[in-house]
Amino acid sequence: MQIAEIDLSKYSNQYSSYTELRLHENRLLNIALLNGDIVSNMQDTNGGVSARVFDKGAWGFSSNPNATNDSIETTIQAATRNAEFLAKRSGDPEHTLPRSQASASSDSNTQKPRKTQDEIIAFLKGIDTYVGDHCPDIVSRQVVLNCLDMEKKLQTSEGSSGHNTNSRSIIAVKLTTRNEAGEPIELSQAIGDRGQFEDVFETPERIHTAVDEMYEHLMNKKTAVKPVSGYHDVILASDLAGILAHEAIGHTTEADIVREGSIAGDYLGEQIASELITLVDFANSHNGEILPMPIYMDDEGVESHDAILIQDGVLKSFMHNKDSAQHFNMPLTGNARAFSYTDEPLIRMRNTAILPGKDKIEDMIASIDDGYLLMRPTNGQADTTSEFMFGVQMGYEIKNGKLGRAITDTTISGVAFDMLKEVTMLSDEMVWGCAGMCGKKQPMPVGMGGPAVKTKVFIGGE
Amino acid sequence: MTNKDIALKTLAKISKAGFSDASTRVVAEEFHELQAENGAINLMRTNFEIDVGITGIKDHKKASLSVNKTDHETLEKTVDNLSDMARGASPDDAYGIAEMQPAEAFDAGPGEPDYDRMYDRIVEVQDYAKQQYPDLHFGSVAITFGNRRSVYVNSNEVQFESRRGVYRVSTMFTSKRGKQTSSMNYFNYSAYDLDTPVQDMVNADALMRQSTEQIDTRNIPGKFTGDMIITPNALGSFVGFLTGKISDAALISGTSVFKDKLGESVTSDKLNLRSCPVADGVSSGYWVTGDGYKAENSTIVENGVLKSYLLGLYGANKTGLPRAVNAGGCYQIDEGETDLEALIGGVEQGILIGRFSGGNPNDRGDFSGIAKNSYYVKDGKIQFPIKETTVSGNMVSLLNSIKAVSKERLNFGGSILPWVLSDGVIAS
Repeated sequence: MQIAEIDLSKYSNQYSSYTELRLHENRLLNIALLNGDIVSNMQDTNGGVSARVFDKGAWGFSSNPNATNDSIETTIQAATRNAEFLAKRSGDPEHTLPRSQASASSDSNTQKPRKTQDEIIAFLKGIDTYVGDHCPDIVSRQVVLNCLDMEKKLQTSEGSSGHNTNSRSIIAVKLTTRNEAGEPIELSQAIGDRGQFEDVFETPERIHTAVDEMYEHLMNKKTAVKPVSGYHDVILASDLAGILAHEAIGHTTEADIVREGSIAGDYLGEQIASELITLVDFANSHNGEILPMPIYMDDEGVESHDAILIQDGVLKSFMHNKDSAQHFNMPLTGNARAFSYTDEPLIRMRNTAILPGKDKIEDMIASIDDGYLLMRPTNGQADTTSEFMFGVQMGYEIKNGKLGRAITDTTISGVAFDMLKEVTMLSDEMVWGCAGMCGKKQPMPVGMGGPAVKTKVFIGGE
Repeated sequence: MTNKDIALKTLAKISKAGFSDASTRVVAEEFHELQAENGAINLMRTNFEIDVGITGIKDHKKASLSVNKTDHETLEKTVDNLSDMARGASPDDAYGIAEMQPAEAFDAGPGEPDYDRMYDRIVEVQDYAKQQYPDLHFGSVAITFGNRRSVYVNSNEVQFESRRGVYRVSTMFTSKRGKQTSSMNYFNYSAYDLDTPVQDMVNADALMRQSTEQIDTRNIPGKFTGDMIITPNALGSFVGFLTGKISDAALISGTSVFKDKLGESVTSDKLNLRSCPVADGVSSGYWVTGDGYKAENSTIVENGVLKSYLLGLYGANKTGLPRAVNAGGCYQIDEGETDLEALIGGVEQGILIGRFSGGNPNDRGDFSGIAKNSYYVKDGKIQFPIKETTVSGNMVSLLNSIKAVSKERLNFGGSILPWVLSDGVIAS
């Protein structure tokens, strides 16, 4: 039976205390071409029902892949028993949760006719051919498609209900060449957006443009020099600002991380950044534009609100689920999300961004005598200390206000609460990325964005 | 209907749909979890999960699908989808499935969770930390138990059945004094039982003690090129480069730095690396590879010489190189000849790295990242915990520069790893 056809409200008489009942299905399509050969051609559909019950500070959770009437009832009963088991052993009758009631529905399914597998593979082969024809000096190429649909239907004992589907489609391209020493030099990029394949990749032109640009950078990277390690003036290009917002600051202001000891807990209301910095975890839209990961109601049945984390350099608030909002006596933000039907909701970012400034990127580069322009992130990690790192796979020297030689892959790091105070310029452009997959107990697709940022960071190298 | 019935019926459907080669894997798991957050056990989870994975090859075109339903209608539809997916694919002679092997069944571990013990072990480690390390704060401590039953069948009459019940322990913690916070740290392991207190496993007690020391960190005296002692907890980040570059994608693409190196020296002769998914005491292993072969333990590097690539069936057919006898993972590095104390004592200047937070190394092996939960070592002695220290170098050079391997090793349930001393790392 399809999720849309199942009425969850009929189970409300089975709730003995606060209960969330969720139907949840993830549908993944993965097709990978390596030098033209299809090395992956797979689909995965994973879904079922879960129930989470709160009793005297204790959570009981249960899930079942079958969403039949019997299994839904059994799942509610199992979650209730689990909560009661813990409540008897270590329950706290004083521990309550803030109430919420919301409803939301959203549908990311395309209105266009769905492409067949043949047509999608033909599209990818077309991109692969384009790469082969337009990038003569490469030794290896990869084209990988990942499409994810997350469909959720929620009912809570407080009357929240919703049926929402989020989709995103990403094509990752990796090009490898060799330098004069015969060593492999690579560059990769993810191109895509929210929505299903038919809406995101109507034509291949945007990928062609990205491939052309990648190839130019890759050729520059063949003769790249190692950056000099140490603190430098840098321009973090706009595609790096998103990961900066997410890793460097975002994680430290998730309220569960704050409870675990994040340094952000000690600086609420204090100036922790340059006055230029305003950082927001947007729920679903900004300036009339729907963002990469729009969330209208979270998996606790809370209406999603923007969380203004830093405003004009002052740490203003955290991101919350119900439990943390109660603990900190702060408003609910609707940040609780679960990745799979087997998962409980955790505090997760949605669309985290530094807001743009007024500077032109050319002026920002011109303002640096000796530094670097850093582009294209790889992976990143955060810490409770606000010390962050992320990999950078493309960049250029800046000498006397002008771009110089390309630099080799490196890692940049810093202490976010120090680095943010060093921000002196922000570009006037806002770039959103849709390919982020955050790992915090569970994977989770996230959006991130921002302008180019002038600051100081530590660069690894020689 | 049993899971084996489901697997065989689905296999018959795939064959009937015209696939010359077909396989089905059915995995069912009962999953139980107790989790404490911020000192209180506040989550009890019971999940019932099932996954049906099918693969078919028709006219040398391959497709794979997985669903987590076992009703007749869903499986019929899934096989239809498989046909559609294969139709659009490109033919490749390298696709294949495992050849006929004798049917076999495997079994290990308990069948039911001991919830009382799970509960008590969580309380015990939190109480221990509270007494011994008052500044330490557990963000989370979780103990799970999974009882997983798998059936693999293919059209070459391969039939494997297995069941494994295993506990997994995971923790996350920081230490805090006033406004000073340590870097977060964690330890994870798996085991067939909970006989041993958590604080006595995988160097946990030392990691908790170190966390409290790491509230007060200092910068290293200055940039230097020196030694790096890689702890077992951090070693996976470094072994991962080698194992990744001897696997399918890197070897098929021709970009691996270990291409054409089989039988040649690729690391220091002090390194012996094995993949042991079926070794005694390995609770996170596997008996059957994804391709449908009975897994065996293997030697990857022996005295520095590359003895085996980690190629699956497709990679082996594509490159003409031998297929690995397992699917990698469960890495064990042989114990060395040096006591840990002597290993540290031999360091003139270096970093003892407890956790590596770094960017993915590029294809050449260049790496750069932050030394987290780490110490400055000088004149054979651990001096102080460090902050904001970047270590960089090259993975290939690092592996070739291994000077010593400790006698002591930690058993994480899947991997068994020692402390490894290498040099030529830039710390700044």
